[in-house]
Amino acid sequence: MDTQHNASRDNRPSRRGFLSLAATAGAAAALGGLPGFTASAAPSRPVSSPMLSAAAAAKNQLWWRAPGSPTSMIRQGLPVGNGRLGALVSNDPSSELLTITDASLWTGGANDTLQSDGQFPYGRDDFGSLTLLAELTVDLPGHDLGSVDDYRRTLDLAQGLVSASYDLSGVTYQRQIFASRPDDVIVVYFSQLGGGTYTGTVTLAGTHGEHTTTDGTQRCASFGASLANGLKYGAAVTATSGTGTVTVDGTSIRFSGCKDLTVVVSGGTNYAPDAAAGFRDPALDPERLARTKVRDAAGHSASTLLHTHVADFRPVFEQLAVDLGTSSTAQRKLDTWQRVQTRYRDDVPDPELEAAYLQFGRYLMISGSRGVLPMGLQGPWLDGNDPDWMGDYHTDINVQMNYWLADRAGLPDCFDTFTDYCLAQLPSWTDVTRRLFNSPDNRYRNSSGRIAGWTVAISTNPYGGGGWWWHPAGNAWICQNLFEHYEYTQDRAYLEKIYPLLKGAVEFWEARLLTTTVTDASGSAREVLIADSDWSPEQGPLDAKGITYAQELVWNLFGNYRTATGVLGRDTSYGQTVDGLRERLYLPVVSPKTGWLEEWMSPDNLGETTHRHLSPLVGLFPGDRIRPDDSTPKDILAGATALLTARGMNSYGWANAWRSLCWARLKNAEKAYQLVVNNLKPSAGGSNGTAPNLFDIMDMGEGRGIFQIDANFGTPSAMIEMLVYSRPGHVELLPALPAAWAASGSVSGVGVRGGFVADLRWRNGKVTQLTLRSVGGRDTTVFAGGTSRKVSLRPGGSVTLSNLG
Amino acid sequence: MRSSPYTALRGTRPGFPRRTLQATLVLAVAAALATAAPAAGQAMAASADSATSAVRSASTTADAASGLAAKPYMGWSSWSMQSSKYPGLNPNGDYSYLTEANVLKQADALATTLKKYGYEYVNIDAGWWMDQNWTSEFDQYGRQTPDPVRFPHGMKSVADHIHAKGLKAGIYLPVGLEKGAYGEGKVPIRNAPGCTTADVVYPDLRTTNGWDSAYKLDFGNPCAQKYIDSQAQMLADWGYDFLKLDGVGPGSFKSGDNYDNVPDIAAWHKAIGDTGRPMHLELSWSLDIGHAADWKKYSNGWRIDTDVECYCKTLVTWENSVNDRWNDAPAWSGKAGPGGWNDLDAVDVGNGEMDGLTPAERQSYMTLWAINKSPLFTGDDLTRLDDYGLSLLTNQEVIAVDQSGSPVARPVTPMGDEQVWGTKNPDGSYTVALFNLGDSSASVTADWASFGFTGAASVRDLWRHQNLGTYKNRITATLPAHGSRLFTVKPGGPALSTTRYEAESGNNTLTGNASPASCDACSGGKKVGNLYLDSRLQFNDVTVKKDGIYTINVAYVSGDPRSVTVYSNSGNGTRLKFPSTGDWSTVQTVSVQLALKAGSNSITFDSGWDYSPDIDRIDVPRTA
Repeated sequence: MDTQHNASRDNRPSRRGFLSLAATAGAAAALGGLPGFTASAAPSRPVSSPMLSAAAAAKNQLWWRAPGSPTSMIRQGLPVGNGRLGALVSNDPSSELLTITDASLWTGGANDTLQSDGQFPYGRDDFGSLTLLAELTVDLPGHDLGSVDDYRRTLDLAQGLVSASYDLSGVTYQRQIFASRPDDVIVVYFSQLGGGTYTGTVTLAGTHGEHTTTDGTQRCASFGASLANGLKYGAAVTATSGTGTVTVDGTSIRFSGCKDLTVVVSGGTNYAPDAAAGFRDPALDPERLARTKVRDAAGHSASTLLHTHVADFRPVFEQLAVDLGTSSTAQRKLDTWQRVQTRYRDDVPDPELEAAYLQFGRYLMISGSRGVLPMGLQGPWLDGNDPDWMGDYHTDINVQMNYWLADRAGLPDCFDTFTDYCLAQLPSWTDVTRRLFNSPDNRYRNSSGRIAGWTVAISTNPYGGGGWWWHPAGNAWICQNLFEHYEYTQDRAYLEKIYPLLKGAVEFWEARLLTTTVTDASGSAREVLIADSDWSPEQGPLDAKGITYAQELVWNLFGNYRTATGVLGRDTSYGQTVDGLRERLYLPVVSPKTGWLEEWMSPDNLGETTHRHLSPLVGLFPGDRIRPDDSTPKDILAGATALLTARGMNSYGWANAWRSLCWARLKNAEKAYQLVVNNLKPSAGGSNGTAPNLFDIMDMGEGRGIFQIDANFGTPSAMIEMLVYSRPGHVELLPALPAAWAASGSVSGVGVRGGFVADLRWRNGKVTQLTLRSVGGRDTTVFAGGTSRKVSLRPGGSVTLSNLG
Repeated sequence: MRSSPYTALRGTRPGFPRRTLQATLVLAVAAALATAAPAAGQAMAASADSATSAVRSASTTADAASGLAAKPYMGWSSWSMQSSKYPGLNPNGDYSYLTEANVLKQADALATTLKKYGYEYVNIDAGWWMDQNWTSEFDQYGRQTPDPVRFPHGMKSVADHIHAKGLKAGIYLPVGLEKGAYGEGKVPIRNAPGCTTADVVYPDLRTTNGWDSAYKLDFGNPCAQKYIDSQAQMLADWGYDFLKLDGVGPGSFKSGDNYDNVPDIAAWHKAIGDTGRPMHLELSWSLDIGHAADWKKYSNGWRIDTDVECYCKTLVTWENSVNDRWNDAPAWSGKAGPGGWNDLDAVDVGNGEMDGLTPAERQSYMTLWAINKSPLFTGDDLTRLDDYGLSLLTNQEVIAVDQSGSPVARPVTPMGDEQVWGTKNPDGSYTVALFNLGDSSASVTADWASFGFTGAASVRDLWRHQNLGTYKNRITATLPAHGSRLFTVKPGGPALSTTRYEAESGNNTLTGNASPASCDACSGGKKVGNLYLDSRLQFNDVTVKKDGIYTINVAYVSGDPRSVTVYSNSGNGTRLKFPSTGDWSTVQTVSVQLALKAGSNSITFDSGWDYSPDIDRIDVPRTA
């Protein structure tokens, strides 16, 4: 693996889902469910305006004084998305540009012919890559940025709305862009105040050499094509205006003298989340469906479309509110990019900016994770057809980190797409594992010769295919995420649904674990079970047995599986077998040489001291085996702390976020906060940090920085983890509240493992009020400020506690 | 022109050794950096001066009094089109654009289109004495003589035509005795009995100028002055009003004794005076700023930078090298004035397609030239100006900035993608330019505090001829990539009330090499210098009444552009590059933004592992 390749895979998570909020529960998520792009019933339209007042909306708005450049969309384009379609929006006055991505427009396929080394090919043709669907341009000659005044663009996080305005020759021109899930379209609405009109051109272009055609009777421009892998896709655009003229001209739509203009675009693929159907819906004609969708939507006014969208989006966003304190008047005068720069320059906390960064992560999740596929390394936001590491699903931290946010941040339904993805892939993952994992060329094959269950490669695609290397413990880590969602929701039906995934992973490990004898510090020999040869992501020896990463994840998997068998009353006998395995699992010790928790069953440091991955600390986060309390031996806690300390404070996006999460677990508020602040550092010249559009940027060297969405989710997760820590039966408030947020604040809607949602307020670092609502949980204990209170609730019930601690 | 394509370039046309030239530039900058004490260079200059004192005459300041270069000149030059590979411009080979017909065509267009806005010079650049193969031609006295194909009626005829249009005629020569004129040393010098070309140069035929295309003149022998006199008289006889002397050193990417052309310039100044014909003397290219006093004394303008032309398929490109000027002009801001101006080279903004620039770039180009009071001469095809180009070249409010009596503008912000430049006008208003040099659009803010006033000010947009209204404390504009705005700002509020903190104050903390030094131009007569290799100057007890983000003016001295990290309290700060002040004895000011909290604060200037400017003082507003 070259360095770049190594670096690549570390960095991203992914995700995206398809179930609507309403459809989330139960059987609707079964295999072979709705494809991502499908005909849908007429949306229900709100009877009254769902729009926030200007003052209320301002609380969750980011704004900028400069539009995006077509050559820098990934840093400056503002993201919109309807959970399936994503777009980056430039807001240039004279040339509005949207780069539009459908989460399922993937090249590649099953990729089940291993290389001679027993590993997976990892190219854009075999494994595949996420690619752009289309570019939409609306040209407005004469509206050059150099000619306008008072330019401003806004991202309204609560209402899912990008807007821009500027003055030109006495007219105020305004535009709004939103991606509607109910109408399954992206809308660009142009309006003005002061007697202006719009004259220009709408152009829809594919990015794979497609030919766009127009249909004068429908006022549509559209294209349709197939990728080499047979995936069909298409997109369409239409434009309407109450005044002026709108005409089809060649391959574009021309408009003239329009006081307003509504441009509606949609598109998609015939991807279907069904391995049995080869991940295709052969009956679907994406171009025709796109035309139908834009025609149907364009039959409604822009305000109707907007209201329908906001009525869908806003309630999801409002499931969590956060106030970390008040920013200064001077900070509030700055636009978002200036605030990011000023925050770093002066190192003066900007609590409102920091809260907005958290909410921006939630905004991305709502916009990107309500479709047929979860979000990968970039979510549905690309600026070209060759995203780094294919924009894929990386299973050794990145996709996990993406979905750590969903339940914590009051977006449990956004998790479903990840679940559904895993369920849809399971038949392929199982098939490939059983056929190929024990290939004699695979250095990670089971020495036992046995094979069962399923696992994954480090990269996965949406066609059941793996990429790069086998990743034996990836199954356990995926299951960790999946099971935690159950812990948050206490949804038995969900647990039933994921049970095959859990059991298959358990079976895989039952077949893989090796028996060996270790000598304890006391000198006594002991027989233990260890993982077969593996690579601790993504450093050190390639073939090490008993790596801490695998031991911890399997320990977690077996425990969760036993909980599941108990709750569901299934496989009781097999569960006892698993108990026996878990009791014999080797767990890491502290190296007498380094004082760190060992990563490789060796006292030696066999890797990079400051390596980005915290693989041996999965028991600290996301696991709970290592806790800063009496349940964890002091030496283990000290060894984990020493290892985390040695890893350092200066990595990049997701690695900083993971560090922050670990420090939050260790209740070190200032280190946890500093790592959040490190990720807020303005990215310049490709350096690590935050771009003007708040996307997290990873430095690839030589001035090239790339978007990695995982930090945009992991960092908010860390911020929430600093405010609330939970595990079943245990809720701890303000475990790591930094001084910067201590004066006063509140957060409502935080997910709590065990089946609760917490709303809390604090002042001077002390919790002043907590409301705990049960979403399925019954008993837990609340810890705050050195005191504890037992709470018992019925599902749906709530309790408010004051003056804790 | 930068690399005049004759001599060494023959046979290598059309390639220009640009990479080499740029490498030389870097070396030159490095050398300047190393010259912490510029005394040695000054001593050299002084000795050169004394060597030429015999031929000194009145300085060009007198020229201004007589009207010559009282304001930056305006006109047209042939070189941009000559040097371009734009289709059709040079059909008969490189640089073949230069012909009598083309010059007269442009003169006619200038008279028709631009003359009424002040454009008056029609300048013939390199090549008028060269054939299509770029072979030089000389008369019997070793003087350049017009190529009969390019100028079938000779140079006087051209000048006459130009004059008939009410315009002025300009011409061009390289410095030194061109090798082709030497004629084995036997060529007689006109009107100098006994002098031949052997007498005007050194016996070892040491070469000079930016291309080493000439033998260096030895003014120890009076024959050399006679040779210059003969050239000057020839140009005067033809009726020329302007001479661009090219390849002049120190400069033109050359340094060292052989390339010290100060004596040549002094001789030219004298020779022109002796002709009795007023003739503007312009020097080219990348003149050494260490000799600014010489250039000012003997000439009417000096190119501060390499050629603006790209030698490519357009006339210029933004990166090569229009945008260099934002970095290079500040050093020269104090050097220009009536009689002699900082020449930023041709302003090729008249035809977007031919220029190779975006509309935003063209406006920024013209803006920078105007606020720098550069000569405004275009190299465009004046018969093909587009509407936008015409509007740029003929905006009278912008031209007025160039031609006004205000000092040359300077950046009031550190160097970087977003810059604010300005100058105070005699009427108390300010000319303020906003630039976005980045490749993406950006907002740029001019804080009135940077100019020392506060409160409400009325703003006029000069490019749009529009009063924008009143802006309190600052104006922010969104600029496209490489875009600009140009304003006149009339303060309505009070002067900014500030608290001054001297760098040399005993209250400050100096670490590393940082140490106080005397500085005549500095407040208190002292500054803190030696900020290099991890050294810091920390102002302590900077006190304000309220939390806020303050615009702090930093007075500094820096003979070249240097960077420093500036932060308040425990901030990370920003690495900022301060523009050159031109030398190590001139104080200039830039403003920086920093958060201060109510009460006592520290403000630190940290060199890092680099060399930083010397700091005179900071002025902190009483209120944010």
